[in-house]
Amino acid sequence: MTRPSMATASGARAGTASDAIVGRMPANVVEPATLDEATEIVGACARDRAHLAFAGGRTELGLGAAPEQLDVLLRTTALSRIVEHAPLDQIVTVECGARIGDVQRALAAHGQRLALDPPWADRATVGGVIASNAFGALRTRYGSVRDLIIGISFVRADGARVRGGGKVVKNVAGFDLPKLLTGSLGTLGLIATATFRLHPLPETATTVVFPRIALADVQRVLRAAREAHLEPEAVAALASAPASADWQLGIRFAGFARGVADQTARLREAVNKIDIAIAMEAENAGAFWDAHERARARDAAIRIKVALLPADPGATELVGRIAAPLRDARAIFYPTLGLGFVTGGSGTGDADAIAAAIEAARRTLAVTGGSVVVHDAPAPLRARLDVWGVADGPRSAVPLMRNLKQRLDPERRLAPGRFVAGL
Amino acid sequence: MLALASGELMSHSSLRAPGADPPPSPPPPAGVVARMAAIVGAANVISDAADLRTYECDALTSFRARPSLVVLPASTDEVVGVMKVARDAGMPVVPRGAGTGLSGGALPTPGSLVLALSRMTKILEVDFDNGLMRVQPGVINLDVSRHLGPAGYYYAPDPSSQSVCTIGGNVAENSGGAHCLKYGFTVNHVRGARLVTADGDVVDLGEGGVLDPPGYDLLGVLVGSEGTLGVVTEVVLRILRRPEATRTFLAAFPSTDEAGRCVSEIIGSGIVPAAIEMMDRLAIEAAVKAVGVDWLERWPDIGAALLMDVDGPRAEVEHTAREALAIAARAGAIEVRVPDDEDERQRMWKGRKSAFAAMGRLAPNYIVQDGVIPRTEIARVLAEIQQLTGAAGLRVANVFHAGDGNLHPLVLYDARVPGQERKAEDLAAEILRICLRYGGSITGEHGVGADKAPYMAEMFSEDDLETMARVRCAFDPDTMCNPNKVFPTPRLCGDRPGPYRAHATERDGRADRG
Repeated sequence: MTRPSMATASGARAGTASDAIVGRMPANVVEPATLDEATEIVGACARDRAHLAFAGGRTELGLGAAPEQLDVLLRTTALSRIVEHAPLDQIVTVECGARIGDVQRALAAHGQRLALDPPWADRATVGGVIASNAFGALRTRYGSVRDLIIGISFVRADGARVRGGGKVVKNVAGFDLPKLLTGSLGTLGLIATATFRLHPLPETATTVVFPRIALADVQRVLRAAREAHLEPEAVAALASAPASADWQLGIRFAGFARGVADQTARLREAVNKIDIAIAMEAENAGAFWDAHERARARDAAIRIKVALLPADPGATELVGRIAAPLRDARAIFYPTLGLGFVTGGSGTGDADAIAAAIEAARRTLAVTGGSVVVHDAPAPLRARLDVWGVADGPRSAVPLMRNLKQRLDPERRLAPGRFVAGL
Repeated sequence: MLALASGELMSHSSLRAPGADPPPSPPPPAGVVARMAAIVGAANVISDAADLRTYECDALTSFRARPSLVVLPASTDEVVGVMKVARDAGMPVVPRGAGTGLSGGALPTPGSLVLALSRMTKILEVDFDNGLMRVQPGVINLDVSRHLGPAGYYYAPDPSSQSVCTIGGNVAENSGGAHCLKYGFTVNHVRGARLVTADGDVVDLGEGGVLDPPGYDLLGVLVGSEGTLGVVTEVVLRILRRPEATRTFLAAFPSTDEAGRCVSEIIGSGIVPAAIEMMDRLAIEAAVKAVGVDWLERWPDIGAALLMDVDGPRAEVEHTAREALAIAARAGAIEVRVPDDEDERQRMWKGRKSAFAAMGRLAPNYIVQDGVIPRTEIARVLAEIQQLTGAAGLRVANVFHAGDGNLHPLVLYDARVPGQERKAEDLAAEILRICLRYGGSITGEHGVGADKAPYMAEMFSEDDLETMARVRCAFDPDTMCNPNKVFPTPRLCGDRPGPYRAHATERDGRADRG
């Protein structure tokens, strides 16, 4: 079914299986050449009552459920301009389809960076990273999208292009629409441009690696570092057998050379004091972060995000239980954040056992407000659980989210059913 | 426009300052006082006309309106009860913390109920291992850090009014402070909130403090929504280890041009200062008179002062402080002064923080603005402001958070001189328009409130505002919470959406329809 208004759009073609979002194939695919054209397409879909979804680098399309209906998939890949970079004001405005890696290269030429390091930087687009709230180890120090985004423009379901925030870092005028769109997975509008605050590239960085450490000891190390007033920019832990005590921990310090050398030395002192007899090395830092990159960007059939209190004493057991039924399980944990990913290799494994492990973990975490979200999963596992694990309950925010979706997309045309609680 | 009687800023007693008396508000509908008293106790319901005067304005004393009723609940349950009675009675609800806001955010609407959270002052839980703390909204900002101090932790946002303002008010306004340049605003330090909606429903938004709760970032929208989305009754804060070292210096410059260039060069060098504050000559004169700092004796030709903090691990701080000092000297500083001891450091900061209150020594009245500009435009914007000021025959003192371009121009005037107040208001409005012309904002930290609502339409398009109004309607479809704030024109939400037709799979969240 080709809609007349779509036929003349840039890059218009019929959808194929490779365009699918969680198995839902779009009837049409368009790839607008300009933001104005993208806005027109969203408006045309509103007139046609067509159901829409958006895709950038396709790195997080496994997140969420399948859209109930999908007439048009709008690819943002051609919308890749850097609209404004003001180095001395430390801000950048980019179009949604700009790839994070390209943006970082442009900023680096001015000694700056967007302190956001999501996986698949060479494919992931700015719009996709915002919509999926993707992050990396830099979140340790700099926070996530919500802490860095200062302005947004987006196209509403009805085709109106609107904006919130601005291009100055300090700004409390009006509701914080940039944060509202962050993590909204294309269900509230098409992110058109975003403005971020920037940070200087550090002069140097050093990582201290603990090649074998139990997750419980990771917390002891971090507590000692905190007591010693150390301020790492990134902390990550990796496990190739998540149920065992064999985690690798990397703590990266960055900044001016003298400060970095001092913090590195003092971390060694602090750890010696708490009597953790683990070899530390700063030499194989590159290898550690390479391993981190491979682990988080692996071609996993199953990817599960776990969120809990950072010092939750049950973290090791919980991650182990989720990993146990997975084939070829790996885990990444960001121990200062309490966020981690457990991944499984090819094939489904025992879908019943995996679903049961996830549900059990959710019940455990309900007490502290933690969550388990399935980012990637084969169909048999999806059929057995809600990928979001969010349900109405006492004091649930779901009714408010439902109201919000209804106010901004009253006809439920933007990826209906993909978001939490069927939104 | 924000007009203050000089020296009133921090003073609760200022709320009783003489001024034009607002007309009394209509009494609450029959039975409401008794129903409220049954919920919170008669002692915590204020309906006497004389007592209601205390609540007729916040720190923006030129805007006054008498509420019909003030209720002081002590718990979430009581807030729920109060909201339900108010809704049944059709009374708008205006939440209020300490009343230190500078934009009229806590200004009552005629016929409204002021819901004062000043009795909800409990610190409920501190969790050092997870860096979290749970408090009630009436807790005073500085008391949070005082509570944490002995353990070596603190709460980063530090608005100038931090010794009196409350966490609930900070959440409503997304308060900043001098050190938000490095550490961010309230929204970056709030990890959860318990919200009571206009309907009296209790909603937890990230209440456990765990990151990334699935769903829309309603918490991010709630912070800074100025009391228009409901009443916050509990807040989970992120707490930080106190930095190991802080280095402060004060640099005296011949003019704001060199000082502005210095700011740009420090930031361009890769240093992330904790704070960089600037004062111009007039602001310095006021501070000298108020606090007795010796800046004018020391530097008779001073045209601008920069006060800077760098903090963090010791070795890093020593390096960045040295670099910043060298940059300031190169940028043309008359002198860069490093305090001899903590006493002198405190005096330097007192000179800066007293600047608003000190204006009383320069003029009987003033208007303070809160516009933001890209920091590289400081010199040009100040020149434009100077030009307008001269043309109006007025004086403007400039105090600002230079690192993030947040200006606080203080337009000085004498209300006793016919026509001068009007001139000052016009000038203050033009200053905001200059900020917008340079790509900035009408408010960096004071909020829109009642004061700047008219300017929202100059900063945002009708579609932008309508989008924000839709967000508000999702929370409060009858616009009962703090009406007539933020938005330039009153807005109705239209019908509540009809019953939602959820699929069975949606209701239990099993949404795999692929």
